[in-house]
Amino acid sequence: MRRKIKISLIISYIVLITYAVVSLFPFIWAFLVSVTPLNGTNPVTGEKFGVDIMKWPPEINIFRFPPKVFGVDATFENYKKIFEVVPYYSRWFLNTVLYASILTLGNVLLDTLGGYAFARLKFPFKNIWFTLFLATMMVPFQVTMIPQYNLMVKFGLVNTYPGLIIPKLTSVFGLFLMRQFFLNFPRELEEAAVIDGAGIFKTFFKIVLPNAKPAITALSIYTFLGAWNDFIWPLIITSSKEMYTLTMGLNFFKTSYYTFWQYMMAATILMTIPMIIIFLSFQKQFVETGKLSAVKG
Amino acid sequence: MKRRTREAIAGYIFALPIILTVLIFTIYPIFAAFYYSFTDYNPLNARNLETKINPQEALEFHLGVFQTDVSSVDEIKDYFDLLSFIKYDVGVNLDENKEKIVLENFDSEKLLKDFVEGKLNKEMKLSKFMSEYLKSGAKYFKRYIPNFLGLENFKKMLNDQYFRISLFNAFFYTVIVVPVQTFLALVLAVAANSKIKGVKFFKLTFFIPSITSSAAISMIFWMIYSKPGILNRFLGYFGFQPIAWLENPNTALPAIMIMNIWTTAGYFMVTFLAGLQDIPKSIYEAARIDGATPGKIFWKIILPLLKPQILFVATMGTIGCMQVFDQIYFLIKNMRNITISFYIYKNAFEYGNMGYASALSLVLFVIILSLTFIQRKLVKETY
Repeated sequence: MRRKIKISLIISYIVLITYAVVSLFPFIWAFLVSVTPLNGTNPVTGEKFGVDIMKWPPEINIFRFPPKVFGVDATFENYKKIFEVVPYYSRWFLNTVLYASILTLGNVLLDTLGGYAFARLKFPFKNIWFTLFLATMMVPFQVTMIPQYNLMVKFGLVNTYPGLIIPKLTSVFGLFLMRQFFLNFPRELEEAAVIDGAGIFKTFFKIVLPNAKPAITALSIYTFLGAWNDFIWPLIITSSKEMYTLTMGLNFFKTSYYTFWQYMMAATILMTIPMIIIFLSFQKQFVETGKLSAVKG
Repeated sequence: MKRRTREAIAGYIFALPIILTVLIFTIYPIFAAFYYSFTDYNPLNARNLETKINPQEALEFHLGVFQTDVSSVDEIKDYFDLLSFIKYDVGVNLDENKEKIVLENFDSEKLLKDFVEGKLNKEMKLSKFMSEYLKSGAKYFKRYIPNFLGLENFKKMLNDQYFRISLFNAFFYTVIVVPVQTFLALVLAVAANSKIKGVKFFKLTFFIPSITSSAAISMIFWMIYSKPGILNRFLGYFGFQPIAWLENPNTALPAIMIMNIWTTAGYFMVTFLAGLQDIPKSIYEAARIDGATPGKIFWKIILPLLKPQILFVATMGTIGCMQVFDQIYFLIKNMRNITISFYIYKNAFEYGNMGYASALSLVLFVIILSLTFIQRKLVKETY
């Protein structure tokens, strides 16, 4: 009996450790490539230069400075270089930060207001709106993206920040998330405020909002992550390089620098790091509550 | 004011921003997509009448003389060809019907007179230009009205090989990815639910792929799957010949499926683990005392108790897989390997067939809706 448990424990460890390696390996490899000096073929002589970045084992030695990867000195040169060879990269970073931050602010404010109204306040046609919103949740983006784009053409907002941002300022998912939170929120607090003579607005901003922090945090992470990683909407709505976001930027790297693996991996790692930082700082919201469903859309 | 009225006003103030944005950017588009799907909506034609021209320059170009060199209508009358001027120099898209309207109603004399008098040297929209010089029928040039095709777009799908290929690929993708990732996530969750150390570390590690953008993941796997890439090196040890995984139409889609499973399995593992932790330990113990094997415990106890999570994971997986786009856009080079949502994008934004693309998107919508519905039924019945 005891032996059986022990065997199952060992198998569990093997499964988990193997999958942990599988999960991390692509990132580690991408990072190793990103700190390797450029290699390639001399266009004039046809001579190959640089190191083999697909070599196994990757000959890492971290017990010296600078550490060695693939048998040569590791360098952060590529991270500097991509800003030089693609001067737009910093602009894309800025665009993405702007896009993700404004969407997060908008969603937090507007979804929360809406969520509170739908959870607590009585107003005419509330149930009709609610049913209508619920129905839209099932509709895939492929259906709405074409008329959405045409609307932006009509408003003259194609390839502008407002065009990129406005359609995504609210989300029905966020509305339902907040509504659910407020439905479970104890009424007593609000009632006490009302007895004290506070109006609806004062109650909301002074009592409800400060107590809604857990739900707002979840909504913020969900929105920020979704915007940071969004590809299809920027692909449709932006047309000039100044307006690209980082995902579009990677697409640009892919088409323009497709043999420069070091540059591409540096760009990839650079856009992934902020998400990893956010993930690690809010890990509780991610892995413990399991509430951030459908992060990947 | 009564409390009820105040509440209603406050309710609308609170909810108005989201009601408006959803109305404009989701609900209107759904109806518009429905309408487009019965037409030949073409974005180039739609924008055509909005473009601005300078009529004087267009006419100078057409006649081959400068306005300043002309003193009377008679000098230029013979060189003026109405249809070619409207079509090529002004640039209005004309079908047969519109050609007829132009030939019958266009006031060429007024145009030439204005030209001679120098009244044409100003920018204007094509729609305005047409309405100014058409004696009647200007409404056809006022704004873009796509031709109504009835069910033509839907009929077209039946004979469209790329529709069949892309829809089949999306199904194939879903049928493989959803069960594999669900099962893998379950196995990982069960393994993590035993008395092991470092559960948190494993959870965090498994989760990382799912918070990384699909664009970044595609780039990394593009390198791994490339012909000189690490995967081929690894397989080389076992004597396999290197293949360009993503260029080869037989391996490209499976390669992306593996990538997708890798991305989402760890994420869904967390969902299952949360479900497993809600199952009281005493149930396993009782089963063990009754002599149940681990396999039996998995199939007869764990699986039925995780029914809601399995339904959630399968539904989310199906919705995501049927719509898979980013990875296909980044990594697929062969039209044989495209999926339906990529084909929708291509039709709408590369071929300019927005009508047909909308019809395709509605078909996708109906398919996803039915699949979700079927899953719900199946899960309810099997346990």
